[in-house]
Amino acid sequence: MGWFSGSGRPSAPEPKAPEEHRSLALPQLLRGLRPESHPSLLDLGMAVGSNLEFLAAYSCRVRIADLYRSLQAEPPESREPDVFPALLPRLLPLEPSESFDVLLAWDLFNYLRRDQTTALMTWLAPACTERTIVFALISTLPQIPGVPLRFRIVDDQHLAWGGLSRTTRPSPRFTQPDLRKMAPGFRVRNSYILRSGIQEYLLERGTQKSVATAVPVARSARGLVVR
Amino acid sequence: MWNKREEEQLNTGRPAAAVQPPPPADARHEAATGAGAAIGPSISIVGELTGDEDLTILGKVEGTISLPKHSVTIGRTAKVTADIRAKTVSVEGEVRGNLQAAEQILIRRTATMLGNLAAPRVGLEDGCRFKGSVDMESVAPGGRPASETAAKPAEAPSAKPIAASPERLPLKQDPLAARS
Repeated sequence: MGWFSGSGRPSAPEPKAPEEHRSLALPQLLRGLRPESHPSLLDLGMAVGSNLEFLAAYSCRVRIADLYRSLQAEPPESREPDVFPALLPRLLPLEPSESFDVLLAWDLFNYLRRDQTTALMTWLAPACTERTIVFALISTLPQIPGVPLRFRIVDDQHLAWGGLSRTTRPSPRFTQPDLRKMAPGFRVRNSYILRSGIQEYLLERGTQKSVATAVPVARSARGLVVR
Repeated sequence: MWNKREEEQLNTGRPAAAVQPPPPADARHEAATGAGAAIGPSISIVGELTGDEDLTILGKVEGTISLPKHSVTIGRTAKVTADIRAKTVSVEGEVRGNLQAAEQILIRRTATMLGNLAAPRVGLEDGCRFKGSVDMESVAPGGRPASETAAKPAEAPSAKPIAASPERLPLKQDPLAARS
């Protein structure tokens, strides 16, 4: 199995020091987590031990999918557009009763084609409730690192990222309308454009009605707040 | 933008502060000290493993492993397809199965782990390959589970969510260290 092919070899050292930014979406996301309800999180990114420790304070049950690396471990022909939906039951199997309160997509959408993101969100939709929140980071820069970053929750307001690759690739620079099309059944609850070149999104289940009227309402020291 | 301590924490994933890492699996070390049993790298076992001593696996095991009062270490060369129940579990090699530990589970950076983890303390070192669920009961500084220390909705219907309240759950405090 491809997933096990790279085992036993520690990952290469990172070429650059980690960056950090003040997140505007993260506090809102965490505010909705109630430890007494033992929330369930699906982390589509790779395993980050410190995130696990942080989320333990919220009594979260965390499932880590490491979807990008799982996809990369598949044979090249399996990355064809029509194949990805068929791969999802194996890459990200879901129990019939499984549901998530939070989906941590991080910057994964930057590295998937539109049809792949649509297939992914369609696959995950049955495991989402009306209260499920999707946390996504979309690059607004022309170039992005060659592979998804490893994001670490520093505290309830700051994210650090590491795992920068030595290569870059063109950024799809998805817009809010793009995201709406790519994630059918979800609407943008909050969007924050940060100076770091990242646009933070909180998506929730529902129609797009309220999004059409979204307007900038505040400007913070670090970015434009759009509600 | 970050201090040296934070950088070190990011690079190491901070597992050491929360989970006490056992020494790396080494069959010679185990043989020399006589501390527990070892399954060598050329050994393959299919079946149910039980016992009353610590176990280090460097070979292949398929089946179930149950050492509820002892430690199980999956060495770097090991390939294990089994559900494991032990007091502590440390994984450096390949494991496909569910792990349940009474005290802690540590997935080291060389590990490839496919399965679910259940333990009061779980540490994932950055660089490890892990897919699965992690379930651990959070304990607040008072020693009680965080879910018990959280205010009931009836007590404070208009209060902010407890999780975001720093006076209730100090977010910068290491939740795992709080238990030790």
